[in-house]
Amino acid sequence: MTTTALPISAHPAVEGGLQLEVTSVSVQTESIVSIILANPSGGTLPSYVPGSHLVVQYGDGVNAYSLTGSGNAPSEYAISVLRVEDGAGGSMAMHQLAVGDRVYVSRPRSAFAPVSTATHHLLVAAGIGITPVLSHARAAADRGTTSSLIYVYRPGAGAHVDEARELLGPALTECSNRTGFQEVLTEQLASQNLGTHLYVCGPGAFMDGVLGQARELGWPEARLHSEAFGAAELDEGEPFSVNLVRSGIKLEVPAGVSLLETLENAGKTIPNMCRKGICGECSLSVLRGAPQHRDLYLTDEEKAENTTMMCCVSRSEDPELELDL
Amino acid sequence: MSINIDKNPESDVLPERIRRFPFPFTAEQYRYSANVEPAHKTVETEAGAWGAGLIDIDEFYLQELADRDQILTRDPSRMQVLPHMRPAVWDALTAVLSSMAEDYPDTMSFHREGNTCRWQNTLQNLNIEFTAGDDDSLPGGPMRFLGSQIQDDIVLLDIREDTMWLDAGLVSFAADWSFSFDVGMNFLEIHGPVPRVKEENIVRRAEQFLMRLQPGEQFRRTNWTMTIGQRLDTSTETYPEWGPDRGTIATDPDLPDKLHLRVEVQHLIRLPHTGVVMFLIRSYLLSLTDIAKVPVWREKLGHVLAELPEDMAEYKGIIRYRKAASDWLLAS
Amino acid sequence: MRSVSMPSAAGSGLEPGFRGVICASFGVTGDTAGHDTGDRPRHDLRFVSANPEALADLRSVLGCSHVGVRLVLAGPPADIRAAAAAAAECGLLEEEMTLLCDEAGPRVVYCPHCRARTTVGAAGTEAECSGCATTLFIADHFSRRMGAYLGYSAHVEEAS
Ligand code: HEM
Ligand code: FES
Ligand SMILES: [Zn+2]
Repeated sequence: MTTTALPISAHPAVEGGLQLEVTSVSVQTESIVSIILANPSGGTLPSYVPGSHLVVQYGDGVNAYSLTGSGNAPSEYAISVLRVEDGAGGSMAMHQLAVGDRVYVSRPRSAFAPVSTATHHLLVAAGIGITPVLSHARAAADRGTTSSLIYVYRPGAGAHVDEARELLGPALTECSNRTGFQEVLTEQLASQNLGTHLYVCGPGAFMDGVLGQARELGWPEARLHSEAFGAAELDEGEPFSVNLVRSGIKLEVPAGVSLLETLENAGKTIPNMCRKGICGECSLSVLRGAPQHRDLYLTDEEKAENTTMMCCVSRSEDPELELDL
Repeated sequence: MSINIDKNPESDVLPERIRRFPFPFTAEQYRYSANVEPAHKTVETEAGAWGAGLIDIDEFYLQELADRDQILTRDPSRMQVLPHMRPAVWDALTAVLSSMAEDYPDTMSFHREGNTCRWQNTLQNLNIEFTAGDDDSLPGGPMRFLGSQIQDDIVLLDIREDTMWLDAGLVSFAADWSFSFDVGMNFLEIHGPVPRVKEENIVRRAEQFLMRLQPGEQFRRTNWTMTIGQRLDTSTETYPEWGPDRGTIATDPDLPDKLHLRVEVQHLIRLPHTGVVMFLIRSYLLSLTDIAKVPVWREKLGHVLAELPEDMAEYKGIIRYRKAASDWLLAS
Repeated sequence: MRSVSMPSAAGSGLEPGFRGVICASFGVTGDTAGHDTGDRPRHDLRFVSANPEALADLRSVLGCSHVGVRLVLAGPPADIRAAAAAAAECGLLEEEMTLLCDEAGPRVVYCPHCRARTTVGAAGTEAECSGCATTLFIADHFSRRMGAYLGYSAHVEEAS
C-alpha cells in the first residue's frame, strides 16, 4: 500500500484496513453507480468470503457496501451504491467519487456467508439487494455448485441485470410485479432438493415476507440466510466518560475506541489477554453507572449486577461510569 | 526425533530447544480458562522467548516432517478432507505459505497471480509451481502438501448451523485423541471428554468467540500435557504402543530424561475466502532434565503437577506418575 | 427389507417432491406409530435393521423428497444412528430429524487401532473388537458421522 496522505484521517471502523484508488465509475441505473477499487500500487487484494461487505469512509462517516465479486484472489473490489436522497449523506458522497480518488476501506467483513455443504443456492434479491447475491452466484459457479436467482426490480431500475443473465442463464427469473414474484417464489420454495439453502437480500419487509413464507413451507432456520443491505453493524458504540475514583482523574472514551485503549493511552496498566471479551483478564470494578456489557465472559447474572465490566469490549449505558481505579 | 546433545553442557548458554520453549505456566497452579490472545506477540520467558511469528520452524523441522510422512504412509486416516472442505484446504494452504514467506524472507517466497502460485522453500530445496484449486497440481494434494511444509498439525472447522464442524485436517501428532474419530463432529462434541469445561461454559464461550472472528483475524492459545519418550505421535490410534509407559515411568530411574512436558501452541485463524476456522497445533517437548535447568520452570511445573486436581490429572493421563515427577522437580 | 405400508420410493409410491413426515422404524422395538405428525402427510417405512438395502431405500426416499420434509427414526441406537448419518449425507439437517432411541438396544463401537466397527449390547463398558480382537474400553464419546462410540485398548496402563 502507498502511504500518500489522505485529506482526512481514517475512521475507527476502517482502521487496519486498506487505502484504495477508484479505477472506474459506471452508471448502472438512474440511481445506482458501480465503483471499482484497486490497490494503487497494483497487486492482488485480500480474498473475501462471498456475500461480504466493505466499510467505506466518506468524509468523516462510514457506510457498508456489498462486494459483488466471487472473492477469490481479487485484483479489484467492486461495489454498487444506491443514491439515498435523505440518507446520512454517504451514498451522495459515494456518487461523487471519480477515477483516481483515494478512499479508506476496511478489510472485507463477512456476515452473509454461503453454506459449504449446500448443493444448490436459491438466491432471492430485491433492488440493490442484488449485490451480495451476485457474489454468491459467482462463487457458486467458481466452485461448481449450482445456483438460481429470483430478482425483483422496478422496470428500468435493475442493476447488474446483464451480468446476472449471463451468469445464470435460465436459472434467473426476473420479476417486476408482486403477484408474478409470489407465484415464482412459492413454486421454487416447494420444489427444492434437500441440499438447497435460501439466501435473501432486499428491504426489511421484503426479506421478512420471503423468510416467513419459507418457514410456512417447512424450511428450518438453518436453511435460511439473509442480510439487510446497508445495515451492517459497525459497532463502534457511543462516546462516554469514566471517572477513576482512586486516581482522581476523568477520561473521555470516544466512539470506536475501547475503554481499555483509553486507559492504556492515559498510562494505566490493565491486565489483558484476548482484548475480545472472552478471557476475563481485563475485568474492572464499577462503582457507579450501568456498563453496556458486550463481552462473552460474564454470566447474565453477573452482568445484571453491574459491578464488574470487561473493559476491552464493554462500554456504558450511562454518560459516565465511576471505576475503582 | 532427535535431540542435539549440547557440545558444552557446562556453558551458561542454554540450548535453543530450551530458549525457544513456550513454557506455559504463569503461576504455581493451573486451571482451564478461555486463554486466547492475539497471535504474533513475542512472549519473554525466563530462558528466552517465543511466539513472534505464526509458523515456527526450528531445529527439528526436517525430522518431524519425515516422521509425519511415515505416519501418514502407515495410517492414511490421519488425513481427511470431507468433500465440501476442498476450497478451504486451498484457502489454508495459500494463507499459510504467504505468511511463511513473510516471516522467512531469506529461505522462502510465495507469489500468486490469479490462481497460479509459485512456492520456494530452500530448507527443502523446493521450487514449485501449482494452480490454486487444482488438487492434482501438488504432490499428494494440497492438504498433504501443507503438512509437508509446516511442523504444525492442521484442523479445519466449517461454520454452519450456528456451530463449528471439524470437517478436514491432517493430524499426525495428536495428544491422546483420535482425529479420524473426531472428523465430522461439532465443537461441543469434540470437547465432550474434557472435564470441567462444560460446567464452566468455556467451550461455548470459545465457540462464540471463534465464530465472531472476522476473516484474516489470528489468535492463539497454549495447552499442555506430559509425554513419555521423545514421541509426538501419542494418538489414540497408537495407544497400545505408548500407553504402557504410563504404568512404568513412576519407578523408572530415567524418569527425568524420559518424561517430557508437552506444550501445544495452538493458532486460531479465520481463513479469508471460505471463512473456515483453521486450527494449527504446534507441539513442543522438553524433558524434565531440561526443564530443571531453568530454576523458575522447575519450581512452577513441580507445584502445578502437585496441585492439579484429580479429574484433570486423570484426563491428561498423568495421574499414575505426576507425584513422582513433582517430587523429583521439587527435590532437585 | 422394503417399506411395507407403501412401495419404496425407488419404484415409487411416494409422490415426488414429498414434503411431509417420513417415519422409519427399525427392528422389533422401533416404532414410530405413536409419533404424532399432526395434519402433515406421513410416509411409513419399516426395516429389520439399518442394513445396506435399508439405507439405500432411505436414501432414495430422501432423494425424491423436497425441502420441508421431516424424518422420524425409531429403534436401537446402532440402527437409527446409521440411518441418521445416511440422512445427513443426503442433505438433511439436525433440525429436520427426530430420533426415538431404544436405549436398551445394541450400539456400535469404533476401534481406532484397526478402524473396525463392532456392534455390542447396551450394557457393559468393555467389548472385544471384531477387527483386531483387542479388548476395548467404550468411552462416552460419540460420533454422529460414524454412528459409533469411541473404543480404545483397555488396561494398557496397568501392564506393570
Ligand atoms: C477451534 C479448534 C479447536 C479444536 C479442533 C480443539 C480440539 C480439541 C481436542 C481434539 C481435544 C482433546 C479432546 C479429547 O480428549 O478427545 C481438546 C482438548 C481441550 N480443548 Fe480444544 N480445540 C479447539 C479449540 C479450543 C479452544 C479455543 C479452547 C479454549 C479456549 C479449547 C479448550 C480445550 C481444553 C481446555 C482441552 C483439554 C486439554 C487438556 O487438558 O489436555 N479448545 N481440544
Ligand atoms: S482482555 Fe480478555 S476479556 Fe478483556
Ligand atoms: Zn480393532
